[in-house]
Amino acid sequence: MQSAAVPPPNAPDADSEAAAWATVLDQDALNRLRELDPDGKSGLLRRVLATYVQSLGRLLDQLAVARAASDLQGLRHVAHTLKSSSASVGALQLSALCADIERRVREGTGEGLDSRLDAMALEGRRILDALHPTSPAA
Amino acid sequence: MNTDSPLAATPAEDRPRVLLVDDDEVNLMLTSAALRERGFEVAEVSSGAEALGRLDDVAPDMVVLDALMPDMDGFATCQALRARPGYGLLPVLMLTGLDDDASIDRAYRAGATDFFVKSTQWSLLAGRLRYMLRASRTRIELERSKFKLARAQDLARMGSFDWKRASATEGRLGSLWLSPEALRVLGRGAGDRIELRALLRMVGPAHRRGLIRMLTEVVAHNAVLATDVAVTLFDGRPRIIHVEAEAEFEHGHGVGYTGVFQDVTDRRVAEDRIRHLANFDALTGLPNRRQLIWRTERALEQARRLNHNAALLLIDLDRFKNVNDTLGHAAGDELLMEVARRLRSCVRHSEQVMEGALEAAGARSHRTLEAVGRLGGDEFVALLPEVGDETDAQRVAQRILDALREPILVAGQECFCTASVGIAMFPRDGLNLVDLMRNSDVAMYAAKSAGRNAATAYSPHLGGRGRDKIELESHLHKAIERNELVLYYQPKIDVRSAKMVGAEALMRWNRNGVLVPPGDFIPLAEETGLIVPLSEWAVKEAARQARIWQQNFGFADSIAVNLPSRLFERSDLVENIHQSVSAYGVPHKAILLEITENNLMKDLHNVSLSLHRLNEIGVEISIDDFGTGYSSLAYLTTLPISELKIDRSFVRDLGITPQSSAVVSAIIALARSLGLRVIAEGVENLRQMEVLHRLGCGVMQGFLFSKPLPPDDLEAWLRQTVLPRKAPWIGAVTDAEGVAPRIVGRT
Repeated sequence: MQSAAVPPPNAPDADSEAAAWATVLDQDALNRLRELDPDGKSGLLRRVLATYVQSLGRLLDQLAVARAASDLQGLRHVAHTLKSSSASVGALQLSALCADIERRVREGTGEGLDSRLDAMALEGRRILDALHPTSPAA
Repeated sequence: MNTDSPLAATPAEDRPRVLLVDDDEVNLMLTSAALRERGFEVAEVSSGAEALGRLDDVAPDMVVLDALMPDMDGFATCQALRARPGYGLLPVLMLTGLDDDASIDRAYRAGATDFFVKSTQWSLLAGRLRYMLRASRTRIELERSKFKLARAQDLARMGSFDWKRASATEGRLGSLWLSPEALRVLGRGAGDRIELRALLRMVGPAHRRGLIRMLTEVVAHNAVLATDVAVTLFDGRPRIIHVEAEAEFEHGHGVGYTGVFQDVTDRRVAEDRIRHLANFDALTGLPNRRQLIWRTERALEQARRLNHNAALLLIDLDRFKNVNDTLGHAAGDELLMEVARRLRSCVRHSEQVMEGALEAAGARSHRTLEAVGRLGGDEFVALLPEVGDETDAQRVAQRILDALREPILVAGQECFCTASVGIAMFPRDGLNLVDLMRNSDVAMYAAKSAGRNAATAYSPHLGGRGRDKIELESHLHKAIERNELVLYYQPKIDVRSAKMVGAEALMRWNRNGVLVPPGDFIPLAEETGLIVPLSEWAVKEAARQARIWQQNFGFADSIAVNLPSRLFERSDLVENIHQSVSAYGVPHKAILLEITENNLMKDLHNVSLSLHRLNEIGVEISIDDFGTGYSSLAYLTTLPISELKIDRSFVRDLGITPQSSAVVSAIIALARSLGLRVIAEGVENLRQMEVLHRLGCGVMQGFLFSKPLPPDDLEAWLRQTVLPRKAPWIGAVTDAEGVAPRIVGRT
């Protein structure tokens, strides 16, 4: 998990960065995250988002593998994990998709799952692009 | 100055340590940051296995577990944690999804303390954790104090119980729960169950009904239960269990009881022993004075209420002292024990009466008070709490006398030890314990006076001859042989010559170093007849003293001895006096007998013969207290009298009332014309002395000259005061009249 690249220490200017985040992340959620590190001393927000990006990239890969193998358990794990971490960072749309998928998998309601998985992958990719334009996956 | 800053870091001890377990790094990071921000110390781990591995190392105050994790999920982790020793009470919070009811249920089953729905509302999570921690601390304290209580109860052989009232669900006798400690008190293991029925069966059949009645009563009123119950444990050991409980209420209705059992057997055994020692005589095992008083008071209460008679029999052994004196105290004790055994058989003696038992015994309970007790020494009391009338009491008294008629073998000897019994009846002879005791005492002494070995019922005319008097009498009996009697002497003075011309002997009783004044024992001696030996002794002692003084300073006058009239009635009086003076080789006239005017007149006929015979042998007679009685002047001319003694009441008033000097001069004139000597007593000052002297009475006695003195002191007084002529009264009259001192011969 720790093997992926960390965000560049010399980040682009804060304003353009924040504007990029705002395109994919909920502003309230971001504010809540900022409150956890009010003076920004420990760079919490940046570290959290870097971690999220890493884990998101990895999980999207796992999602593709699980879909190919029709591994419901694998799908459920990815959905569950992404559901709560996405909610935490304010990727609300993705979180909602994950919750829906997780529920359908748990309840064995296979209908419409494929289209939702497509939507999930698409939204995940959109977030990755917005947060980490230099990501290798981009 | 306020040094507390709101920004000050939370002290370490107030920073609860959380072990946070989540496989998702983002959540781990955020949750951890949120908790740190809110004052927690957080150790982050990303899997269940890692959590278990670091548990001992981190020593968390609580664990926050993500429910869904790959490999080992939160439920499995929680179960494994709980299985570890020492982690049974560690608070564990399970994080679950919002819509996941099944997980919540699983979380509790896995042993989680609580669950929390994952959210980004961090303050809610922190609040939940703080609450959980507080609850956990309270719980730990509760467990600790429960443990302490259990241990303390075990040590005190005590245990708790709860009882729920009978109801449709609880059965007819209700349901009983006993703590493991309570079960141990009853000799049972911690897992056993005992129903109330089984518990009641542990109580002996004799007390079971009473106990059930009492319990029913208590429960009916939701009253406090506190009682001692004698039980037999399942292993047969008899124990006494103290039960104390209070009612429990719900919505104002008593629903049951909660309380404790305690094994108080040891304490009760000790208490019973103390109670026995305090209430029973150690030698005979009979109720002692204290217990008798208690019983009597209870019996009188009952007799008053139920309006019947009761009787108190005071039993005093006759001549018990002889046994002690001749056979020794061990034999005396042996005798008392046998007497106690016999007395016990004369009444329906009940050994044990305790406060509680009395109430329980019902209306006729006072019967159980009946007993013989030992007051002390050789005195016993039989208490008859209910008798028909005096004849019932007499019957018991007779039984007692009969029981003591048989000889008692002590120290290898047959002893006859009879008793005198005094009977006092309630309410006739007294309404309270004190009166009944006193009157039974009076009656008992009446029985003794009448010759002992008898029973006498109290009646008011027996009164007066109480214990003190009898005691005094019995001591007075021995006063002579113990040399406790002494004669004091008050000099008679001829004031013209300033010389002692005789002395009056006055009896004193030196009882245990205390001088008993004559007024306290002479009347008793007269009443009992002891005055006769006393007077005989006095005559002999006076003769002996006359002899000593004769030798010491040539005393040739007479010593006056007071005699009661009954002594003059004795035919051997003359012979006795003759022997007394002969024994010491002094002339008969060394003894002068004084008889009061009243005594003389009372027995004039009987006395006169003796007076003549005494006069014949040379013993002179003086009339004491002259002027106070109703003398027939005629007898003065016919009786062989030598002297009149003017009563002190006239002397006292001399110079104050003219009447007194008139009486005194009349007596002096009478004496002079009849050829009798005259002497004044009670002279206390020079004025009295001068008046008497002027009126023609020259011989006097009184405190002016000297109080009555022991013989040696009197000699010293003569040597130091009279011979050196140092007293204020010496010379007072001679100077006044210009008459030179001279030796006054007898008139």
